[in-house]
Amino acid sequence: MIRFLARRLAGSAVVLLLVSLLTFGLIWLVPGDPTTVLLEASATPEQVGRLRVALGLDKPLPLQMLDWYGRVLSGDLGQSILLNRSVTEALLERLPVTLSIAAISLTLAVMLGVTAGILAALFHNRWPDQIVMSTALFGLSVPDFWLGLVFVVVFALGLGWFPTGGFTPIEQGVMEWARSIALPSLALALTQMGFVARMARASMLDVLNQDFVRTADAKGLSRTYVVLRHGLPNALVPLLTVTGIIAGALLGGTVVIEQVFSIPGVGRLIIGAILSRDFPVIQGGLLFLAVVYLLVNLVVDILYAAVDPRVRLA
Amino acid sequence: MTELTRRRTLGLGAGLLASSAVAAPAIAQRRGGDAVIAITQAPPSLDAHVTSAQAARNINLHMYETLFARDENARPVPELAETVNISSDGLTYVFPLRRDVRFHNGAIMEAQDVVASIERYRQIGASANLLAAIDSVTASGSHEVTIRLKQVQSTFLDNLSSPRAPIAIYPAAEAAKPANQIAFIGTGPYRFVEYLPDRHVRLARFDGYVPNPKATGPDGFAGRKEVHLDSVLFRFMPELGARAAALEAGEVHLVETVDGPTAQRLRGNARFTIYRLLPFSMQVIKFNHALGATGDLNFRLAVMSALDMEEIMAIAFPDIYQLDGSWIYPGSPYHTAQGTERYNKPDLAAARALLGRSGYRGERLTFIVDNNRSNIDTATVVQQRVRELGVNIDISVSDWPTVSRLGFTPQGWNFWCHGFGIEPFEGPASVMAPWVGGTSMIRKDEKIDAWFAELNAAMEQSARVRIFTEFQRHMWENAVAIKAGNYGLFQAATARLRDFKPYRIPRMWGVTLDA
Repeated sequence: MIRFLARRLAGSAVVLLLVSLLTFGLIWLVPGDPTTVLLEASATPEQVGRLRVALGLDKPLPLQMLDWYGRVLSGDLGQSILLNRSVTEALLERLPVTLSIAAISLTLAVMLGVTAGILAALFHNRWPDQIVMSTALFGLSVPDFWLGLVFVVVFALGLGWFPTGGFTPIEQGVMEWARSIALPSLALALTQMGFVARMARASMLDVLNQDFVRTADAKGLSRTYVVLRHGLPNALVPLLTVTGIIAGALLGGTVVIEQVFSIPGVGRLIIGAILSRDFPVIQGGLLFLAVVYLLVNLVVDILYAAVDPRVRLA
Repeated sequence: MTELTRRRTLGLGAGLLASSAVAAPAIAQRRGGDAVIAITQAPPSLDAHVTSAQAARNINLHMYETLFARDENARPVPELAETVNISSDGLTYVFPLRRDVRFHNGAIMEAQDVVASIERYRQIGASANLLAAIDSVTASGSHEVTIRLKQVQSTFLDNLSSPRAPIAIYPAAEAAKPANQIAFIGTGPYRFVEYLPDRHVRLARFDGYVPNPKATGPDGFAGRKEVHLDSVLFRFMPELGARAAALEAGEVHLVETVDGPTAQRLRGNARFTIYRLLPFSMQVIKFNHALGATGDLNFRLAVMSALDMEEIMAIAFPDIYQLDGSWIYPGSPYHTAQGTERYNKPDLAAARALLGRSGYRGERLTFIVDNNRSNIDTATVVQQRVRELGVNIDISVSDWPTVSRLGFTPQGWNFWCHGFGIEPFEGPASVMAPWVGGTSMIRKDEKIDAWFAELNAAMEQSARVRIFTEFQRHMWENAVAIKAGNYGLFQAATARLRDFKPYRIPRMWGVTLDA
């Protein structure tokens, strides 16, 4: 286990180095810098040049790169050019927002998706299966931002149950916090649920056709017991993979939904930084997301071994 | 020395009297309330000196003030200065300062603060060229500042009062700090409370604010700024649908901009008021004179002759445009139809003849455009129109930072379109400046450069009008660039918001919010 972790962590360091190099290269290849956001369209190159100097953007690229890596190695992601604060601070301010939406969406997507998938497998080729699969296909086909807008029209404007957007920190009241993230979380969960349901159904069908399930049925065990005790644990391994993928997708998926609901999360921070060329935030934000992805994958790999003794971490 | 010209002072007085009549009902109305304004994007900075972005101006001009500011008709009038005394040679400007002005930290504004702020702007200001004519700035008294110019500049007060990247007056201690590192302390009617990135900026009424005693009502960026609200929250809401939904749900009181269909839908609802802010900007199609066919006069004239401006404006800005060939907004003393005879005269036969005389031989040209819907629509209409002539245009869409960097280089583009909003409001010098030195068309135009210098030196307005008219004629006759028309914004507010008058920023002074 320790050797496995050490190997994965060493691999992760290489991945992070590559991610940071790629990010650095890409953002310096793309034209534009923060002065384009600070100045009017008619600003002259002279005005732009002057502001670049004032913001410290005139340093040579290798110098900026060295400076950045030096700071990152000491745990400092640098200073945002436009936000007047450090990148770490900006990320940590928004992390709870994004994580809470992603976690709630993931939980909902997995719980509802697995339940629906099992139901569809048990009623294979009958009407519950058709309904679940049609709904799943609908969920997969519908973009989350569209669903979000529909939710706003129905639940916020029509029924008035939820705010149309914005985010209330949990310190200002649990109920208000829950109301502020309910619609975006649900919109994200429903679009991912279809994916989980389809995978759960396929996985369960595969397991339910195995000999050991037939044996369990032949022993006279109840259908519920067979499904939950013998079927589900064996169907979990592919579902874990899916959950890992969805966790990553949700962290990325929040980008759009944060925009629709005006939620100040990590996704919106990075999108805003890309559009305004706030280089330190782009670099720090993407490195941070890469770390989260790697951690999620590591956890999923460890969980493989926990749910399936045949998998050995070596 | 002559005091600020008699005509200007009389004009100011008349303007103030007129605006006081408009503002009178507000005085009897309720004090208090927390207004929420939905704006499309976060301000890139709350340091007013370093940004000329509209998103920043919307907020900053509630917190900061300038020595002179623009009135309702864009004329410069005293704000933090009592007046100005200009020497007979036009080189020395003495500004006696108001003695009743306090900063948000409680300190009285003094000459040293003004000197430090102007010096800072000259160093790091986003539009530092506005002050390029300054030779020296000195405190000639505790409440008097003297500015000496290197050469006569007729537009100096226009420049000093520019709202573009305002030459805001900060406390001297803040003015000593680098760009983006100040505490947000100004003299404006609202003080800074908090900035939560990606969420909002909150301002509160500054109770120590003394409205300009010489003014009697709101007047552009200047005038009497009576604040009835307790606070204003500027919420950043990039998504159009989310802004409209928030207004309908009662979560915001004013939306900076809504689209035409939303304005149309809300117009019939008594709970809301729809405002038309027109003109807000003018749509301009630029040519790269340094690259290929667009460097050819006959080709540019052919394109101009092929275009139907009404078609462009109606598609790109439905229901909120005006056809106008002048390079400055209607209402300006510089606005004239003279020299615009070639504007909006679509004639495909003439266009074909001009194209035949050009050097264009069917090569593919590039129209760069940012991802703003209206700009893409403009590019598409141009592409379709000139295709009828046999001109091949590829449209290349990128984000704004990419396009705005590429569009000032000689390679990679032939056409580029975007709005010019603040320039025509500011006046002729601002309209001409982007073309000086060939900046916006990538090839120097000696005539424009000469007119710009002449305009800056012409102290008589009649001379400036003549010069600007010549510039305007030159722009059309040489198709230096094509102005398609003026466009505006729809703004939507709850009917509870009273006495709001749309302007270049959503002014929150003089307005009240019913309970």
